[in-house]
Amino acid sequence: MEFAIITKDLTKKFGSLTAVDRINIKIRKGEIFGLLGPNGAGKTTTIHMLATILKPSYGTAIVAGHDILKEPNKVREKIGIVFQDMTIDRHLTGYENMWIHGRLYGLRGHELHERIKELLEFVGLWEWKDIEVRKYSGGMIRRLEIARSLLHHPEILFLDEPTLGLDPQTRVHVWDYIMQIRKEKNMTILLTTHYMDEAEKLCDHVAIIDHGKIIAEGTPNELKTIVGNDVICIKVRCSPDKIQIFVEKLEATLDSTFVRFAMGRITLGVKNAPQVIPVIFEIARRMNIRILRLEYSRPTLDDVFLKLTGRRIREEFGSWVDFIRREKMNRFMRR
Amino acid sequence: MKWIGAFIAMWYRQVKQFLRAKPRLIGTFLHPIFWLLFFGIGFAGAFREGMSQAIFMGLSYLEFFLPGIAMMGVFTGAFMSGISVIWDKEFGYLKVVLVSPASRKASILGRIIGDSTIVVFQSVVLLLLGYLLVPSMNLINIPLYICIAFLVSISFAGIGVTIATKMQTIEGFQLIVNIITLPLMFLSGIFYPIHVAPDWIQPIILANPLTYGVDAARFVLVGKSYFNILLDIALLGVLSMILIFLTMYQFEKATIG
Ligand SMILES: Nc1ncnc2c1ncn2[C@@H]1O[C@H](COP(=O)(O)OP(=O)(O)OP(=O)(O)O)[C@@H](O)[C@H]1O
Ligand SMILES: [Mg+2]
Repeated sequence: MEFAIITKDLTKKFGSLTAVDRINIKIRKGEIFGLLGPNGAGKTTTIHMLATILKPSYGTAIVAGHDILKEPNKVREKIGIVFQDMTIDRHLTGYENMWIHGRLYGLRGHELHERIKELLEFVGLWEWKDIEVRKYSGGMIRRLEIARSLLHHPEILFLDEPTLGLDPQTRVHVWDYIMQIRKEKNMTILLTTHYMDEAEKLCDHVAIIDHGKIIAEGTPNELKTIVGNDVICIKVRCSPDKIQIFVEKLEATLDSTFVRFAMGRITLGVKNAPQVIPVIFEIARRMNIRILRLEYSRPTLDDVFLKLTGRRIREEFGSWVDFIRREKMNRFMRR
Repeated sequence: MKWIGAFIAMWYRQVKQFLRAKPRLIGTFLHPIFWLLFFGIGFAGAFREGMSQAIFMGLSYLEFFLPGIAMMGVFTGAFMSGISVIWDKEFGYLKVVLVSPASRKASILGRIIGDSTIVVFQSVVLLLLGYLLVPSMNLINIPLYICIAFLVSISFAGIGVTIATKMQTIEGFQLIVNIITLPLMFLSGIFYPIHVAPDWIQPIILANPLTYGVDAARFVLVGKSYFNILLDIALLGVLSMILIFLTMYQFEKATIG
């Protein structure tokens, strides 16, 4: 089977609120699929239904080849999950947390010990194994949770906002682990996020979710074409008539939407800037024109969201919602 | 035999977590010790030689009180163990258990037996300390006492956990526990012999499972009881079985949202 997850009109209602509204997505085996959306979009609700701890109001899904309603226990055996909120025992050590989890999944003895060692080494926490988790940093706890979710060799990994509330450096660290998991363990990963950069950097496919509905789906690049083109801006040094010829040549050669020349700068709109840029240099070289400076900008997924909904996914990095969540987490950590 | 893993995991988790939480560990140890020392010894002083024997089934007050106070620790400790369920609900660990393929029945059983292990162990330590004050205690019967204490603990931990799975907040749970604990504690023959209570209270005392736990503990430790020890044990056994099955069944159905 080609797909790891297929949802069929998956729906969840809380009273009169439809938190997830007829979602139909297909996630290929071995890919990282991102569910991108603002706070309250229904990401966590979707994941909880797929992970069989929340019953859909309507519709169903096939996860790892099993129906979540008919064979929830088969699904549970094949998935690993890192929840949005921390779910680690803070008064136990990293090793004890892993051991308890392993026993819960039926692992034991020497095999379990070796597996714990392998995974704690993978996330760089083996030296910390005998230290109580309350002394770990937020990033270390996240890594421990990721290691824990991998104990039983799941086929599919769910990561619900894996880098929420982490500082930028730690986020990059966690990203590295996620990429490595996909590469080395050939796992299918479904992650949710409301960080555009996270979705862009990590995901093969992204579905944008808002008010419980999927409003767009595709590779990050495909999604960006919804907004329009990459814009390339070039500054050259040569005589004005030569520039005129250069501009005409570019227009003739490239599949561009517009080419403009003003104030000593050429601006052009193209579908895919990285592909076009070498061609531009080649033409310039042949005409003996020196390019002083070349810049290009691509639309972000946030622009896509803005275009589709008229709102931004988030106002700015470190909004008050994040702040409140982090406070909540800190309170938890102090216990 | 897959359920064994979940049972051991949760048993280990409860015990380990308890041993780690030093303040709670010390607190639950000290509480019954204070009762024994400051209430028991003080009260014992109120009865002159011979006088207490007449009231307390032929026992000195401390002989009478020690098995009761040990049972009280078991009872309150077991009841409060429901708190960890709410705790887990609030901080998400319950989701971790529910999302695993592990048997939910086994996991909740592991939890209850884990909590029971702790409270029973604590009460045994209390008894050993109490031995210094009550040298007439039958130390050989401690294993029997442990069995009785386990039955009591399992019953009340079952009740606590069942209430906890229905509750949303720790405050709400604590309120209910407080409302239930005090009457059950005072109407169980821990502090005074049950026959001295007025008639209208007698039915409550007889309906209180703790009464039989205290009675049985008193029999094995200092040799005096109201009821036949076999009756005590049979009642506790049946009750604990019923409660544990109810608890397991009820937890099985638990999903979030
Ligand atoms: N148990 C519940 N009862 C009632 N409403 C709920 C419940 N869980 C979620 N909701 C509501 O459903 C909507 C979707 O919530 P969900 O947690 O899935 O969003 P999310 O995309 O994960 O958002 P976030 O970025 O905040 O995690 C929200 O409006 C939320 O208030
Ligand atoms: Mg969420």
